[in-house]
Order: sequence, then C-alpha cells, then structure tokens
Amino acid sequence: MKSLEFKNTRENREGLRGWLDPFRYGWERFSYWAQRLTGIFLLIYFIGHVYETSSIVSGKDAWNTMLELTQTTWGHLFLILVIGTSTFHSVNGIRLILTEAGKGLGKPSRPDYPYHPSSLNRRQRSGIWIALTLAAVAMLYGTNILLSGD
Amino acid sequence: MKIHYITGVGALFVVALHILMRLVVPYASSLEYGYVVSNYHNFLYAVALESILVLIAVHGFNGLRIILLELRQSPLWENGVTVATIIAMIALILYGTRTIIIANGIGL
Repeated sequence: MKSLEFKNTRENREGLRGWLDPFRYGWERFSYWAQRLTGIFLLIYFIGHVYETSSIVSGKDAWNTMLELTQTTWGHLFLILVIGTSTFHSVNGIRLILTEAGKGLGKPSRPDYPYHPSSLNRRQRSGIWIALTLAAVAMLYGTNILLSGD
Repeated sequence: MKIHYITGVGALFVVALHILMRLVVPYASSLEYGYVVSNYHNFLYAVALESILVLIAVHGFNGLRIILLELRQSPLWENGVTVATIIAMIALILYGTRTIIIANGIGL
C-alpha cells in the first residue's frame, strides 16, 4: 500500500501575487491585505522608533540631531502615515477579533446563486468603513498637531 | 492567534497612554530633551514603556511570522521563520530595555 506522505507542490499556490490582488473577494480582501501591509509598515516604524529613541542615552545633542530627522516635510508626512496606518490597523484588528469570536457574522444561509458570502454582510463592511474613516480623521488631527506644534 | 489578540488589545491601551503623554503638553515641548528624560525617570511610566516594547515586539514579530507562513509552507521554512522572528523579537526587546534602564537613571 502506498504510504500517505506530505508532498510540497506549488500547485494552486499564487504566493504574493494572489495575496495582493485587491479586486477579488471584494472589501474583505482589501481589508485582508491592508491589515497585513499596515502591520509590516508599523513593525518597520517600531524598529526605527526604538532605535531613534535610544539616542536619549547619548545626551541632548544626539537626541536633537535625531529629532531633526522627523522635523521636516517628509518626516511629518511619514508620521501622518504612521498615525493613519496605526488607527486603521487597530480598529480593523478589533473587528477581526470580534469576527473570530463569532460577532457580526450573521446566520448561516443556503449557498444560492450568485453565491454572495453571508459572512460579508453590512456589519462587516461597516466595520471596514469605520476603520478607514477613523484613520482619515486621525490623520487630519495629527496633521493639525504636527503643523501647528500645539 | 490568542497571543496575537491579547498583545494587540494590551498594546492599544499602553500606546494610548504613551500618546497622551505627548498631548498633555504642547507637541513641540513634549519632545524636548528635559521633558523626555523626566518621563523616563518616572518609574511607572518606564514600566509602561517596557510593556509597550514587549507587547508590540511580540505582536509585530508574531504577525510577520503569520504572514510569512501564509505565503509558503514547508517544515524548514516554518521552523526557520519561527526561530528568526523569535531571535529578532528578543534582540529588539533587549535593545529597547537597555535604553529604558539607562534613561531611567539606573545605569547613569
């Protein structure tokens, strides 16, 4: 009898191309890769932030030199992007936690043509829109603080 | 995924506190050397910073691990990704902890 063994084939595997396709499966797919891209971006920012703040132990001059990097137009734009991505990642993350707990999924239904997934309902889509709206509001608030210095 | 959710929700609260510390004074003066050092000298705030460091490092590197495991599967890849992300996570926590300890005044 032929033994059953795990075979690592590349069949049906689209890799990064399939992962990044935003047009398949609607808004849930957009939210799927936006959550991952913002996560990777925020991890890179976090590593940079830990390195940046470590200059505090080298004295006032080192701290001010490091700080000057963020006190430019590009530095401000980068920080505004951090504010937006972190807000989206947090709010959408809460939606995902609630979804995994079974909240907002709706009742199971018979799969009828044209096979709209019942799990991607108005509540789920609202969650994605709330995350995007709050990210935009946070970016506006951050822009105001960064530009006014208050 | 449980560790990912717990660290994510936990980080949300301590990061909110961290941002509040920047907003209770005008933004420009919140980044002045003297004010930031005084923040580090506050023991409770230093503990909050350490918890941000640990929670986000665990959340971030575990998230990266999940993404990489979704893209490709094989025993070598999965073990390699897990070990590499754990090493990177520990290195970042150690580096950040060094900053917090020295800035808190223990190492000065």
